[in-house]
Amino acid sequence: MITLITGGSKCGKSSLAERIICGFSGKKFYIATMKPYGDEAFQAIERHREMRKGKGFKTIGKYNNLSEITLPEKCVVLLECMGNLCANEMFVDGRIINPTEKIIRDIKYLDSIAEHLVIVTNEVGNDGISYEKGTEEYIACMGKINRKIAEAAENVIECVYGIPFVLKGELCY
Amino acid sequence: MKMIIGGVYQGKTKFAVSEFGISEIKDGEKCNISEVFTTKCIKNYHILIRRLMDENIDPVEFTVRLCSENDDITVIMNEVGCGIIPIEKGERIWREMCGKCGCIIAENSCSVVRVICGIGTYIKGKNV
Repeated sequence: MITLITGGSKCGKSSLAERIICGFSGKKFYIATMKPYGDEAFQAIERHREMRKGKGFKTIGKYNNLSEITLPEKCVVLLECMGNLCANEMFVDGRIINPTEKIIRDIKYLDSIAEHLVIVTNEVGNDGISYEKGTEEYIACMGKINRKIAEAAENVIECVYGIPFVLKGELCY
Repeated sequence: MKMIIGGVYQGKTKFAVSEFGISEIKDGEKCNISEVFTTKCIKNYHILIRRLMDENIDPVEFTVRLCSENDDITVIMNEVGCGIIPIEKGERIWREMCGKCGCIIAENSCSVVRVICGIGTYIKGKNV
């Protein structure tokens, strides 16, 4: 069962995702897709690590090819976040690869093993700005990926300044 | 009058087709400007606003006229007002015009739907 959590940046998506996943029984896994490059990434990773402390998560740093991950049956998985995963799969060695189908396949794979899969994503297309080609393609891919996951998901929640807003299904924790 | 809003690539047009059974949709990016007054549905209204500005037509006056002359229309437009205020003056004015025209359309619409991840949420009225 998939729960998709979306929203703008720093709006409380991660802590909502953790609250949801901590309500489930089963071994907890945290798939971190952010590559630890640069000060800001390190700070974000450290902040999220601190948040998860003592909650019993096993952290897996995996930046692409999520189908290579081996997980036990009936586990619960928090995947964070789609924005990084999409960029990692899309921009490879100076080339741009459309990652939509691959990411959806990998998500379906994780969903087939995990009892609950909570995915944190981002809203990136609401600023009205036209960007150069690569960024525009990224925004388009994020839109398509989010729509496809939302279609397959049981629950879709938008987080607004920490307030969960149910777009589909229900909020369970 | 109905309105569908949301960010880019969220599935707004698909929603208009499935929810309201709309079959013919004019594109604000390339349609004849006068067609807006007779069509049942227009998408990319935010781009039409830019075209109106390029043609020295006041988008607010145009939108007010649209609301009174074609109140059966469904308007699809992007939410463009989030993020940093653009440095370039033309971009700033365009965003402001989108905001003003959006408010006028929403005020005159019986239903306003916001689409995120392909899911429509009625933020005003309902499907009638």
